[in-house]
Amino acid sequence: MNFINMLQTADFTTLYPEIFLGVMAFIMLLMGLRYKNPRIYSAISFISLIIAIILLLIFDSSASSIFSGVLQINDFGLFFAIIMLISSIYMVLPSTREVPEKPELFYATLLFVNISMIIAAFSLNLIVIFIAFEGVSIGTYVLTAYGKSRRNLEAATKYFFTGTIATSFILFGSAFYYISAGTFSMQNVTSLQSHSVLIAMIFLFVGYGFKLALVPMHQWAVDTYDGSPNSVSAFLSTGTKVLAFLIIMRIFLVGFSLDHTDIFYLFVIISIITMTYGNIAALSETNLKRIFAYSSVAQAGYLILVLAVVSNNYSSYSVNLAILAGMFYALVYIFMKGGAFFSVGLVKKENAKIDDLSGLAWKSPVIAVSIIVLLISLAGVPPTAGFFAKYYLFLSLISGQLWWLAVIAIVNSALSVFYYLRLIVIMFRRNSENEFDLSPSVYYPVVIAAILMFALVALVYEFPTIQTYVTGLFGV
Amino acid sequence: MIDYEWFIFLSPIIAFPISFTVGRYRRNLAGYIATISILISFILSFIVYLQIRDTSSPVYQSFNWFGDINAGIYIDHLALVMILMVSFVSLMIHLFALYYMGKDPNKHVYFAETALFTGGMLGLSISSNLVEFFLFWELVGVCSYLLIGFWYFKPNASSAAKKAFIVTRVGDLLFLIGLSILYVSLADKVASPLSIAYIVNPSSWPQILNYVGTTNLTLIGLLFMGGAAGKSAQFPLHVWIPDAMEGPTTVSALIHAATMVTAGVYLVARVYPIYLHSTAALDFVLFIGAFTALFAGTIGMVVNDLKRILAYSTISQLGYMFAALGIGSIIGDSAISFALFHTMVHAVFKALLFLAAGAILLTMMELRDVKKMGGLWKRMPITMTLMFIGAITLAALPFTASYYSKDTIIDASWNFFSANGYSLFSFLPWLMLILGALTTTIYTFRFFFLAALGKPRSELASKAKDPSKIVLIPLIILAIIALIMGQFQYLFYDFIYAHTIHVSIPYIVSLAPSMMVLLGLLITIPLYATSGWMSLDLKKSRLYRVVKNKYYLDKLFTNDIAERGIIPLSSGFSTFEAYFSRSIEAIGSGTLRLGSFFRKLQNGIIEYYFVVLVIGISIILLIVELLGGF
Repeated sequence: MNFINMLQTADFTTLYPEIFLGVMAFIMLLMGLRYKNPRIYSAISFISLIIAIILLLIFDSSASSIFSGVLQINDFGLFFAIIMLISSIYMVLPSTREVPEKPELFYATLLFVNISMIIAAFSLNLIVIFIAFEGVSIGTYVLTAYGKSRRNLEAATKYFFTGTIATSFILFGSAFYYISAGTFSMQNVTSLQSHSVLIAMIFLFVGYGFKLALVPMHQWAVDTYDGSPNSVSAFLSTGTKVLAFLIIMRIFLVGFSLDHTDIFYLFVIISIITMTYGNIAALSETNLKRIFAYSSVAQAGYLILVLAVVSNNYSSYSVNLAILAGMFYALVYIFMKGGAFFSVGLVKKENAKIDDLSGLAWKSPVIAVSIIVLLISLAGVPPTAGFFAKYYLFLSLISGQLWWLAVIAIVNSALSVFYYLRLIVIMFRRNSENEFDLSPSVYYPVVIAAILMFALVALVYEFPTIQTYVTGLFGV
Repeated sequence: MIDYEWFIFLSPIIAFPISFTVGRYRRNLAGYIATISILISFILSFIVYLQIRDTSSPVYQSFNWFGDINAGIYIDHLALVMILMVSFVSLMIHLFALYYMGKDPNKHVYFAETALFTGGMLGLSISSNLVEFFLFWELVGVCSYLLIGFWYFKPNASSAAKKAFIVTRVGDLLFLIGLSILYVSLADKVASPLSIAYIVNPSSWPQILNYVGTTNLTLIGLLFMGGAAGKSAQFPLHVWIPDAMEGPTTVSALIHAATMVTAGVYLVARVYPIYLHSTAALDFVLFIGAFTALFAGTIGMVVNDLKRILAYSTISQLGYMFAALGIGSIIGDSAISFALFHTMVHAVFKALLFLAAGAILLTMMELRDVKKMGGLWKRMPITMTLMFIGAITLAALPFTASYYSKDTIIDASWNFFSANGYSLFSFLPWLMLILGALTTTIYTFRFFFLAALGKPRSELASKAKDPSKIVLIPLIILAIIALIMGQFQYLFYDFIYAHTIHVSIPYIVSLAPSMMVLLGLLITIPLYATSGWMSLDLKKSRLYRVVKNKYYLDKLFTNDIAERGIIPLSSGFSTFEAYFSRSIEAIGSGTLRLGSFFRKLQNGIIEYYFVVLVIGISIILLIVELLGGF
């Protein structure tokens, strides 16, 4: 193979968004020598990320394969790349007050993370995915450790240790894949029936499952979300989770044949355990942020249901519906979960307990209502976007003849209503002395997320058109 | 945009909250608001009449509701007649109610509810889809429940309201099942399966027959008839109507004349093509109707409660309407004309009778036993004269409206006999209807003579007096219509169905109904116009006891089915429920305990996490292994 031919210059145009973000990150590092105001950097990152989305849309819209199929530009990856960029955009502006020192480093790291995310979204090669994923991981280790309190460091340490284990699983999984397929590329591998493939599947699933915080790979998540700055928690539980979800979906949609029905049981069991564990553990939790962390674990269980439907492969209708539901869920999830984590910032003290929210509804009705909207959206109550996401997800389960799984998922949603409602009730308590931080960096993210919970419902009307389109969307 | 026709039913429905809220502050205004809203409905109906009287094309406007439900309005001649009748009679009743309910402390609630009741019935009449029809049908049911139980402090009233609601619910369920079958058979195959415009259109019938099949069509016809029997009080679902007399008399008038019981007849007439394609369903309608006509008539002869007599007469008269619809296998669409004309006539004279009864009961302090009345003609001459007009119309004395409408039905049933080759089976309807006519005459003149003639048999009766003439104006209008309406018989028939056949039967047979009236008079005049009935002792007769106990049907429903069957069943369920809720609580507390356990796993020590991780992943591999992956 001629190596020079692989690197055609035309291929680089598709990399403009990544290159642009990298350049901006280095510019910010240079600026760091003079300017210390975090607002400058957050504004620059904000604008750069938006420009990156525009560049993505301009240069990557056509389906093409570059570097001999290492990167595969298609609308499916584009959708997720944009979602992940949006999740960064969402946290960039409010995060300013959480970076007291060296802001240029924080935002440059964030941009580097985003570069890796975009590459991971388009890649079809296990090694490229691995490298991009590590880029995200290492970047987020740094973000988590930002701030100098002991809790930050503890969170970062735990995240780092478990992250290394995840990395080893991914590497082993990729190696097993290479053994049976003879290549790292996930293209052109139609059907492989061997033990090493199954081991590869499980190892890759476990490895990437760490970032999704699937039970039993979840325990770092609760402590890390709890210990990180709010904006970083929001980013960790949305952006990186969506990335892991995308990679797992990629691997199992493209890399492996869907004939492996054994893997179906794996998905089902993991998703049931994850949903149930997250919801039940949240029931008796009193720490506000940890409640959201547990609910984030549970939400990952719902996302894995998509893979259960896909691997069950009952009909193309149910598979398409499941993927559509998964995409919509990921989009909605970014705002409902991110908004929830930002709302923790309302409480002025460290280690916010749920009782610290009492009286909120009387002090600031707007934000209380916004939080209620986010909570009912997380619980899946109509007419919020969270409801429609769950509705289509469960519909795909039912259309795939997985009634029993749908029932378990619905029971789990009902379970989650318990602790969400408890929060709502507490907000309406009177006679409380609590003071709330209603600064714009807390106020706007929550209110905007709540508005989006209704605005995103509008997308549901486009589903029929998207659904016919999705058939050709996720393929190679 | 919606056209003015929508306000035919929207006007009373909009008046409902207005009259309720305004009435809370100004009691008197409520009645006027409700009455005016119905006047608007009537005027609009009349405008529609002027608009479509010469054309056969209906007023049809609808929008898509859930996918293939075209909710909207559909006014053809049939619906038009219905809304004219409903709004007019309801208007008369409302006018009288202004006087009758004048002193009631809750009259704003009453008027709000009657407006909604009328609105529901008008909406039902002009629905363009059977689902919409069903919703209004239920609205009418709910309003009847509220109104029958209007004097909720009377224990009888609240139990009667419950009975009415539950019994009609049985019919509603059958109707709903029928609707579902029809919908499922046609869904996805036609644009709007339950559209009335689609069902009544002859050109869509080959398609319907193809998709639904005759067996299912018969089943649907029977189920719809079940729904109609519940609403229109046909055997065996008639038991609610006599008890429903516990409400205010004007409510009874509304239920019996205009707004409720005619809904069943109208349902069958509305979806009549279904019946025309299923002889079995038609015969079922015919026999139920004819049997009810006789059956209710016999009970009417032994009841002493003035309003209950009228109630049984309603059941019996509705039987005639259903019988008329059932003869469709012989006379085709003309059956609708016959049934609807009798419905109109009945609405007029029954409203008249009930309003007159209301006037009597107001002065009699709600004492309803006819044996305690007597001599009222002298004391309240105008009211009793009006009631007399109602009574002779009910009994179908020659040249009253009912003479034309009812006798046509009886004659047509003779046609059923002759067209079926004079078989004994086909003779039964005529026989039952003609005997029904006899019982009608007997119970009518029995209660009238008892109430009007002789000496007052109670303190209250001797002090009775007419209400002021102004409040009787609605009754006078109704009485005049009852007398002259018969002359428009064929005009009316042709308005509904342009090719209504003229029934021709042997002259001697056509005389039979009049003979029955004569016979009835010959029995009642010596017995009840004098004091002859006092020496009559029927208590020893077994037949009398059976009839007096309404053939034990009420007992069967309440004592046997409800008390022995349903109540033990429901107590069984409630025991189960108690255990169930206790187990739910146990699950809840168990879940919370599990949650605390999970949180203990999350103790913040990372080495510990790795243990969980290793165990967890091992379990995953083990599971995949066990499921045969390796």
